[in-house]
Amino acid sequence: MTSHTSTSAGAPVRHLLRRNISPAQLIGYAVANIVGLSIILTALMFYADATITPGGSAGTDPYLSSSFEVISKRVEGIGLTGAAMFTPAEIADIKAQPWAKRVGEFTPSQFTVNASVSLGGRGLSSYLFMESIPDDFFDIHPRDWDFDPTHPFIPVVLSKDYLALYNFGFATPQGLPQLSEGVISSVPVTFTITGVDGRPVTIPGGIVGFSSRLNTIAVPQSFMDWANSRFSPGAPAVQPGRLIVECDPLLSADMDRYLIDHDLDTSADRADEGTGRIARFTAIASGVVSIIGIVISAMAVGILFLSIWLILQKSRSRLYRLMLLGYSPRDVGQQLERLVALINLGVTVTAVAAMFAARSFWRPALADLDLGGASALQEIAVAAAFFLVVTGANIATIRRHLHRLWLHGA
Amino acid sequence: MIETITLSDLLPKVFDGMQHEPAIARSEVWLQQSLTFSRGCRISIEAESGGGKSSLLAFIYGNRTDYLGTIRFDGRDTSSLDIDTRCGLRRRSLALLPQEMRLFGELTVMENILLKNRLTDCKSEREITTMLERLGIADKADTRADRLSIGQQQRVAAVRAVCQPFDFLLLDEPVSHLDECRNREVASLFDEEARSQGAGIITTSVGHALLLDNLTVIRL
Repeated sequence: MTSHTSTSAGAPVRHLLRRNISPAQLIGYAVANIVGLSIILTALMFYADATITPGGSAGTDPYLSSSFEVISKRVEGIGLTGAAMFTPAEIADIKAQPWAKRVGEFTPSQFTVNASVSLGGRGLSSYLFMESIPDDFFDIHPRDWDFDPTHPFIPVVLSKDYLALYNFGFATPQGLPQLSEGVISSVPVTFTITGVDGRPVTIPGGIVGFSSRLNTIAVPQSFMDWANSRFSPGAPAVQPGRLIVECDPLLSADMDRYLIDHDLDTSADRADEGTGRIARFTAIASGVVSIIGIVISAMAVGILFLSIWLILQKSRSRLYRLMLLGYSPRDVGQQLERLVALINLGVTVTAVAAMFAARSFWRPALADLDLGGASALQEIAVAAAFFLVVTGANIATIRRHLHRLWLHGA
Repeated sequence: MIETITLSDLLPKVFDGMQHEPAIARSEVWLQQSLTFSRGCRISIEAESGGGKSSLLAFIYGNRTDYLGTIRFDGRDTSSLDIDTRCGLRRRSLALLPQEMRLFGELTVMENILLKNRLTDCKSEREITTMLERLGIADKADTRADRLSIGQQQRVAAVRAVCQPFDFLLLDEPVSHLDECRNREVASLFDEEARSQGAGIITTSVGHALLLDNLTVIRL
């Protein structure tokens, strides 16, 4: 008894099977699936392009990217110190919410700051506050956004609202000149910091940018960490009073409910409310289009399974007779498996090509918004996964059917 | 290579419970403790219609397993054979001519034969044509099988059956639609092919037996 070696079924088997294959059925499957898969891939690609800059980082355009919310506790009457601070447990709870993609803490300063500038011969000085948040929550990325104690210079990012307040609310009635961002950025600022020991220390600095996301006077986290330990040594860390949260636009309704339930406020970043809605809309639209694509593809895959089943049913007697001659189930299934794999490969390649063709339409428009830089690898991986899963399932169906035919006869 | 086929207590499941009926009790095949067919044998199994002849050959060939008892090839229980081994046996050790012939009607005579021969690479096209000539159907080589008479189809199936190496040739009523002259021609072809390989022939009939000398008749 020698064991069997696989032999190509060859032309006669192909010839026999061809009689039971309906080209119309298979073309119908292929077209429907190309449409479905193209829609899925195009929607995924568009969503990725609409949120990723050419450099590959998350997009800075607030209309399409995630929305950021600054959360604080509601202050009732006159708040006692510490009452409006977030406890570690509360922060952990917010971090655990599905709508919170990332949570950053505002670190308040534990020292007093006085800033003075000289404008047109007139000196201005004012007490200020400072806060810091982790650098990756900034909507702008100024150069030299760091602090080196050996060459101290404090870079500051101001809220755009503050500049507007100065220009339109303060400068005009006081007879002071209105200032552009460029002019302000070129003005040297001297910060006088007084810590717990009461001795003032003077450090030079400057305004290096304006943020529309952050309603604060922001300094680098590295400066805040250094300054708090330098000017308030041994003081317990103050819990943050505000948190910045990158929200999933699709779950903003859940977030709203959470904020109401926990009596939290989103006092800052209200400018992003509209943009958050647009981001949410983009995510929903991409989701809906993807679902339509998935439904079309699922139906098309159903057609393919039905076609395979019909071919196998119609060929039952022929396939069984071939097995009686000594052809193995593998031999007789090979032709059909090859055909199915070829069709699925064609569908996948065409759908990927359609996705790239569609991308060439929106890419120039998104490039103007500094977007459209997403890698297509994820979408190609989805297409490859589709090919592997559907073809694998098809081949498994064919083999199972032929195995049953071998065991039980036609 | 299979040297012996041994049947032990074999009975189609459909006859289960009928063990004491006269037809089963008298049978020289069913429920025999040990019935062995050796390579080189010439066996004719004769029975009435419905006696289970086709079933017996299908059990041995392995395309049906609805039986009680055991079938052994050289002592190995065939129920343990996997699909690949079975396919190998069908290509190299067991040749079958089914009663229904199972030709592909949409293929020509030559295509039908080549379908088997491509798998085994046993005969040249010249040798196949010579066999068709011997059986008087060489002129039908390019005719679709479903255009042939049953007798002609039987001869095509006979040629196809021997287009492989075999240890046992299993023939299920191979000449039921042939006249005596064609019967002898077919029998002679089978005998020559079997003799050249030292193989055995197990044939069945319901009275229209293969006209072969030295046949040992067994009543089913």
